[in-house]
Amino acid sequence: MKKKASFLKGPFSFSDGILVLVTATIIYGVFSIANESQSDFHPATQIDLSVWRLPYYTLLSAVRGTVAYFISLIFTFIVGYLMARFRLAERWMLPLLDIFQSIPVLGFLPGLILGLVAFFPKTNTGLELAAILMIFTGQVWNMTFSYYASLKSLPRDLDEASRVLGFGIKDRLLHLELPYSAVNLAWNSLLSMAGGWFFLIPCEAMTLGDKEYRLPGIGAYMDVAISQKNPLAIGMAVIAMLILIIAMDFVVWRPVLSWVRRYRLDESISARVDEPLMRVWLRESPMLRLMKLFLRRFFGRLKRPRMKVSVKKFFFGKKILDFLNHLGTRCTGVFQVLGILCLGALLVGMSFKAYYLFMLLIRIPGASWLALWVDAAWTLFRVFLVLVIATAMSVPLGIWIGTSAKRVRIAQPIIQVLASFPAPMLYPLVLGLLFALGVPFSWASVILMLLGVQWYVLFNVLAGAMSISQTLNDAAWLMDFSRWDRWKFLYFPSIFPSLATAWITAAGGAWNASVVSEYLSYQGHVLQTRGLGAKLSSATVSGDFSLFAASLVLIVFIVFSLNRWVWSKIYAITQRRYRIEL
Amino acid sequence: MAVLIELKDVSKTFTLESGTELKVLDGISLTVHEDEVVALLGPSGSGKSTCLRILSGLIPANSGSVLVRGKRLQGMNPDVALVFQSFALFPWETVYQNIALALKRSELSSSEVKARVRKVIDLVGLEGFEEAYPRELSGGMKQRVGIARALVMEKPLLLLDEPCSALDILTADTLRTEMMKIFLSQKTKTRSMVLVTHHIQEAVFMASRIFVMGANPGHIRKEIINDLPYPRDDQSMSFRRMVSQLYAWITETLMPDAPISGEAISLKPRQKEGPIQPLPNIQIIEMIGLLEAIADDGGKADIFELAHGTGKDFGRTLYLVKAAELLELVDTPKQSVILTDLGRSFVAGDMNVRKRMLHELFGSLQIVQMTSQLLSKTQALRIPIQELTERVGEWLPNENPHQMVEVLISWGRFSEYFGYSDDTKEVYLDVGQETI
Repeated sequence: MKKKASFLKGPFSFSDGILVLVTATIIYGVFSIANESQSDFHPATQIDLSVWRLPYYTLLSAVRGTVAYFISLIFTFIVGYLMARFRLAERWMLPLLDIFQSIPVLGFLPGLILGLVAFFPKTNTGLELAAILMIFTGQVWNMTFSYYASLKSLPRDLDEASRVLGFGIKDRLLHLELPYSAVNLAWNSLLSMAGGWFFLIPCEAMTLGDKEYRLPGIGAYMDVAISQKNPLAIGMAVIAMLILIIAMDFVVWRPVLSWVRRYRLDESISARVDEPLMRVWLRESPMLRLMKLFLRRFFGRLKRPRMKVSVKKFFFGKKILDFLNHLGTRCTGVFQVLGILCLGALLVGMSFKAYYLFMLLIRIPGASWLALWVDAAWTLFRVFLVLVIATAMSVPLGIWIGTSAKRVRIAQPIIQVLASFPAPMLYPLVLGLLFALGVPFSWASVILMLLGVQWYVLFNVLAGAMSISQTLNDAAWLMDFSRWDRWKFLYFPSIFPSLATAWITAAGGAWNASVVSEYLSYQGHVLQTRGLGAKLSSATVSGDFSLFAASLVLIVFIVFSLNRWVWSKIYAITQRRYRIEL
Repeated sequence: MAVLIELKDVSKTFTLESGTELKVLDGISLTVHEDEVVALLGPSGSGKSTCLRILSGLIPANSGSVLVRGKRLQGMNPDVALVFQSFALFPWETVYQNIALALKRSELSSSEVKARVRKVIDLVGLEGFEEAYPRELSGGMKQRVGIARALVMEKPLLLLDEPCSALDILTADTLRTEMMKIFLSQKTKTRSMVLVTHHIQEAVFMASRIFVMGANPGHIRKEIINDLPYPRDDQSMSFRRMVSQLYAWITETLMPDAPISGEAISLKPRQKEGPIQPLPNIQIIEMIGLLEAIADDGGKADIFELAHGTGKDFGRTLYLVKAAELLELVDTPKQSVILTDLGRSFVAGDMNVRKRMLHELFGSLQIVQMTSQLLSKTQALRIPIQELTERVGEWLPNENPHQMVEVLISWGRFSEYFGYSDDTKEVYLDVGQETI
């Protein structure tokens, strides 16, 4: 009855207007990208700094980021599944992903550009693909890890139930694996998008040796605006980016995060949470409802499970069908063999690459290696400083916000948007301010690094502070703890596990950010300070592949070993000592 | 009577994380025919759930054979449906979808699926809850969904894994009665049921054959035919007689020292040599509570009434009595528990006296003495817990060594005999040096 009543309100409403607008924009954006990539090869697109061109550029960048995200999603589903399902895949791919994760986005640049541009010499497709894949490398890893971790921690009883109920691969995916991992995957998707935007400028405007590559997009716009010292254009680009982030948050992330709440495992019926406006619109849109009704009628008539089977039987015969079904349920062996083959191919490919890399590395003289290690020490020092400052700032702020439901409600959406904003776009503004204060660049680069990294810490501390046990809090008040004791015995131990997570992600992020914060162009000239990130950037720009390879190998080595031998130890300790079981 | 499934000399060994092997099932042979309800009754650790999982095909047996309709079982058993102790409902699907999911693999048309789901919803009394999500339901209603989901598959054999033990007593009673009503009405395709439970009344209420299982490793102690006519009345004399007979059997399974028949009061001198006695997995403080309950009854109590009076389940009570007996605080002639003189002075004493006595009594246990020797051989009077676990595994090959060490530490801490530091992962001899 209710449904009928709202039909009568008319076939079109305000929310429909918004939906049509969003859909039209997406379609237009996709067509534009397709159009751009089909155009004749022109590596360095002229960027028009006119404000009126900005929406178009922003749209193109948004589509690139989204396409990269979907590639990340597919990669995540395949690789995460393989790792969780097969021992062999797990043993080989887990460390491999760990290594890939520690390669800064810039590290993929030369390979992707040279390879893909050579593959599509006539059109711009290669360049577009290279940019998209670079954004992809900034997004994918934490999503894959999250999906893999979810699959590894499936509740045992649900796993058994799905086996007793005779689920096939498809039903298992749809009714167990995807729903169970949905919440974590959604939050990691949000973080991944932010990670992808972070390197938007170098992804769209690249210099490789004497060649310049530029794609139409807001990142390239920013790059040009900076090099032409055009403050108006810089400001407009920042605003356009902000609008893009807020729009994505409104149209995509809030509805998605609210929607995945139905897939949480905890049994309690939690307090009502405000429904995002976008979901209300989607739900109440008369047009969508009409479309759904139509589709259901249409497909409802088509979908006749019994007919499908008999049609299949007609084509394949009973024997073959049985065989296929048999294969479907016990194809572990086939998958194993396929997995081994893929892995073998990968290993052969990698050993070629390793040989190539080795040839590059032996050209570096010993003195240069020493200099590189000194650079590494500088960057390590900066990363450490950034972590200390970020912790000192975020812990009090995060606890102050997180301990009050009201403050969380106000602050969280703002933090969510600010954290998604790519810090490098703010670098020119911040640098201007710092230089005015007389800060030298070697110190300013610490602040720049901090700008991108502090959000990881704040996010995690906030999550930790929100989960501080209310009972323990009450107890602390009843026992009349002094302010210091409350920190020492309640707040700090409560947030420590999330702080450890924060340090791991923030340290990785800081190493990656060193590439753009130790070396950048400002008002038409290049600023550079000692550091491994600066070495990597300058090697890319000057096209010195040996130096590039050496600094890349060093970064990967350091980040990987820090993860393995330092951070994971700290993490394990916090999980053991400060886990709360009530 | 046609045979639905047959286990022949089935054994199962799990490899623990530490690499030690633990045998959980040994030489299980049982047959399930059509038109019967078989109960596997036993204390925790008797491998009854493992047994059920082998029947369902969820886990394979290490040795022996599983025959379904005469054929060796490979992979999942196509003949069974399973009801879980924890319900195992998909929280993101509605009641209706949860039940319909069980028909995913069938080749039914959507209208046939709908009809079948409607039928079971009606059968278990879930009308009106079709669109509810599991988190909106009480435990009893959740288990109804679990049962409906199993029934809708229309398999001849229904496996029930402690179906009522996550529910409160009243709800469990109702559900049990209804399950039997549905089974006996023959409105479903279920021909037989296998019930796993540690609840004696439940087994007597539902089963026509009861396998009493013993632990370490799990094995079948005794098969009991329960030919009380259905529907059963748990207040009738014959029902009660059956229950107390089972109590007696289980008492014998767990405490073979205590003779069920014969006049002589068992006062066996404790053997210092001979097999090492494992420690029952209980908390000392719980055992003290039991001793006080016995003292309140005048120093002598019937073990069934004790279980009833303390509100603990029977198996647990037996373990507590066994622990007290090990420490020579009680005697167990027949089915009664009597405080020894030691026990009387223990209950009469204050906490300091009790701790001192425990220190003495605990220290005279063989496993404790062997552990002390191990510890005192070291310079610092401490060894890594890993090492102790390995040694305990050698001493008591049939016990789960991790659990045994946990109990050893828990008792040792209480009687101030051993200590354990989780930071260094070391067990140490408590000689008062570790005070902060």
